Amino acid sequence: MKKYIWTRLLKSIISILIVVSIVVIMLYTLIPVSKIFENDPARQKLKTNYKTVYTYSRLEDLGYLDYYTIGEMCLAKDSQDINACITAGSDENIRVLNEFEADGFTVEKLQQFDEMQGNSIAYRYYGVLELLGNFYKKLIVIDHPFKIHDPKNPDMERGYSIGLDHNNVPAIKCSGCEYKYQLYFNTSFPFIHTNALKLNFGISYPTNAGVPTMDVISTGQGTMDSFEQTFPTGEVLKSPILQHTCKYKYETDHLDQKRFDDNYANCALKYDSPSMIQTSYIFGISSLILAYLISLPYAIAMARNKGKFVDKSGIVLINILIAVPSLALIFFVKYIGFAFGMPDKFPQLGFTNIKSYILPIIILALLTMPSLMMWVRRYMVDQSNADYVKFAKAKGLSKKEISRNHILKNAIIPIVNGLPSSIILAISGAVITESVFSIPGMGKMLPDAIKSTNNNMVITLTFIFTSLSILSVFLGDLLMTFVDPRISLNVKEGDK
Amino acid sequence: MEKNIILSVKDLEVKFKVRDRELTAIRNVSLDFEEGKVVAIVGESGSGKSVFTKTFTGMLDINGRISNGEIYFEGKDISKITDDKDWEQIRGKKIATVFQDPMTSLNPVRTIGYQISEVIIKHQGKSKEEAKQIAIELMEKVGIKDAANRYDEYPFMYSGGMRQRIVIAIALACRPKILICDEPTTALDVTIQAQIIELIKELAKEYEFTTIYITHDLGVVANVADIVAVMYAGQIVEYGLVEEIFYNPQHPYTWGLLSSLPQLGEKGDELFAIKGTPPSLFQEIKGDGFAPRSEYSMKIDFELEPPMFKVSDTHYAKTWLLDPRAPKVEKPKTIQNLHEKMLALTSKGGVYSDRDK
Repeated sequence: MKKYIWTRLLKSIISILIVVSIVVIMLYTLIPVSKIFENDPARQKLKTNYKTVYTYSRLEDLGYLDYYTIGEMCLAKDSQDINACITAGSDENIRVLNEFEADGFTVEKLQQFDEMQGNSIAYRYYGVLELLGNFYKKLIVIDHPFKIHDPKNPDMERGYSIGLDHNNVPAIKCSGCEYKYQLYFNTSFPFIHTNALKLNFGISYPTNAGVPTMDVISTGQGTMDSFEQTFPTGEVLKSPILQHTCKYKYETDHLDQKRFDDNYANCALKYDSPSMIQTSYIFGISSLILAYLISLPYAIAMARNKGKFVDKSGIVLINILIAVPSLALIFFVKYIGFAFGMPDKFPQLGFTNIKSYILPIIILALLTMPSLMMWVRRYMVDQSNADYVKFAKAKGLSKKEISRNHILKNAIIPIVNGLPSSIILAISGAVITESVFSIPGMGKMLPDAIKSTNNNMVITLTFIFTSLSILSVFLGDLLMTFVDPRISLNVKEGDK
Repeated sequence: MEKNIILSVKDLEVKFKVRDRELTAIRNVSLDFEEGKVVAIVGESGSGKSVFTKTFTGMLDINGRISNGEIYFEGKDISKITDDKDWEQIRGKKIATVFQDPMTSLNPVRTIGYQISEVIIKHQGKSKEEAKQIAIELMEKVGIKDAANRYDEYPFMYSGGMRQRIVIAIALACRPKILICDEPTTALDVTIQAQIIELIKELAKEYEFTTIYITHDLGVVANVADIVAVMYAGQIVEYGLVEEIFYNPQHPYTWGLLSSLPQLGEKGDELFAIKGTPPSLFQEIKGDGFAPRSEYSMKIDFELEPPMFKVSDTHYAKTWLLDPRAPKVEKPKTIQNLHEKMLALTSKGGVYSDRDK
């Protein structure tokens, strides 16, 4: 069992790496570079050589190429006389440029008329393997006590300590790390958190330019939410600062010094509305619970009374729900709900009003229900035709006992298998419903990111969705071993 | 000698509704089951053997119904029971059934112990602990070694033969008066077949239940049965003690069945088979249902249904050949000295069916 789980995990990680690598290669090699800048208003305002320089430095930020200005080139080639080196046409200048050209760089002279005219730049697009190497090199960020090197604070203590946080809960703190809190507990899921290991997918661009992609989808939305808290200096203040997230700040101002007794003052803030992931999750999970609560008993009743009214009415319902296009169903329910005073757009009443949630949740549940009902009924009916049911009847058990003690336990196996996927993948959001109700969730993130060529965002989402899918299938298989004694997770000799 | 009848069937008729048409699966069958005896019901597939016994436990499929006749059990006409609650007092408790395929008769995701004790708890009102004790005793009785440890195992951990033993244990859990064995050995291999048959035989002695065997294996019949009823197209065409059926069969269909015993085939010759197919049960069958397939049919066989002719006090057959006016016919040569042939086979030991391995 243990061995199986480890091999399975290893296989999962390999599959994730393969998928992400393919996506990285495709995005960086197949999408024309000009496409990336179509949605960048800052670049559109620039003219002449500034535009060229901006373009290359942006591309360097995004990981497309290695880019050098003339000054950087001179430094890189250990030029003794910097002034001569940066002067176009000097011997030193030509030597450096030739060396760069010999290294495979494209050297370009800025042609247009402005103060940069005549200066040279050099760039080199990365090959496929280099792209992948760079991506994985920066993907996993491990925090350690020798991370921060602040010239103004050379005698910084370095090491871990166990102490109390501002809520008087034990936490592992670190001095010298990027984050102050390495391991801490709080009341939000999953209750135990760490800053020691982070995934870095780069920055979002051109939408939400400059913000790390993970932060775009996981930081709260709306306005800042201040709450009363005690700071390390003993100061009690109403502030939106989340102290667990504080990073090392090189330049602290007097406000920071008033609150913090060290340099860890660069903190994330609390917002009053949930993040995109949370928003989609709230809708996904609520609708899932609603769908299961209705579908399971209904489908079981249908199977028990096969061919009778309950069954026939259920089949009619399933047929209607499947036959009606989802968009039509969404608008139909929306207009009915509107007649009952429900808002037809989510932002009208916002996150705090329960009415905002009712219609989307009902719609999402209605969309999940037909297939769920159909399959549960199918499993139940299949099982009730099994020989062991005939034998159970011959044993003198009542229909109810057979259904409860025998059929259900068999029919539930395939349902249990699919359950983790349904729960975990609820975060991927619902594209159409979220668009129709203007819900700020995850649903539109992937199509939007693709449309605006936000490559890093596409990679981030691919990574998240792939890992969660693989994880949830794995969890489903693990769960099956609990409900079906015939299944055990063991590596067989023949599998090697 | 006073006969003790435990189950009595009178003029039973069973109809099934299939796609808006009605077929008659059992046509006016009357049969008495004597207490403590082993009755074997033989006949080809579709002759109504299983349907006939299903009426004793109210297990007819949803589209079937008893359209006529009575079934008396413990002084009550159980053919009129419609409420499942009343059936639950009989099924499993007084009349138990063992089905053909032990591989599928047990619930794959419940423990063996659960499936045995479930019946004991339900029908005998015992507590879980008591039921477990009884179940383990039963498991030992049907030949499961180390029963206490195997109580919590699942069916997939048992072999086919052992599963059938468990099925028998479940069937016997409430000490039923009648055990219906619906082809209990068909799905098992030959050596296990013999063991299971032996087990049922021994348990029948110990628990004193009446056994009804449904089978088309005449080897099994010869080995276990006291009384044989031959069914054809929803009717019992011949009925008698096992010796009478084997050594003095009267109905041409019984002749056919016996002639088809593979053990009687001569090396190099083709095995005997009854020609033709059984009549459609959708139409009313005129005369003797077997007449179109019989070499011995007379004109009257196509016009009038034969009555049950009495051959001896225990032996009856439903064929016009027994009418005094009928011409004298010889039964087929292959089965003429069946007695000697069968003896020759059994003297080598084992069940008849073991012979042709």
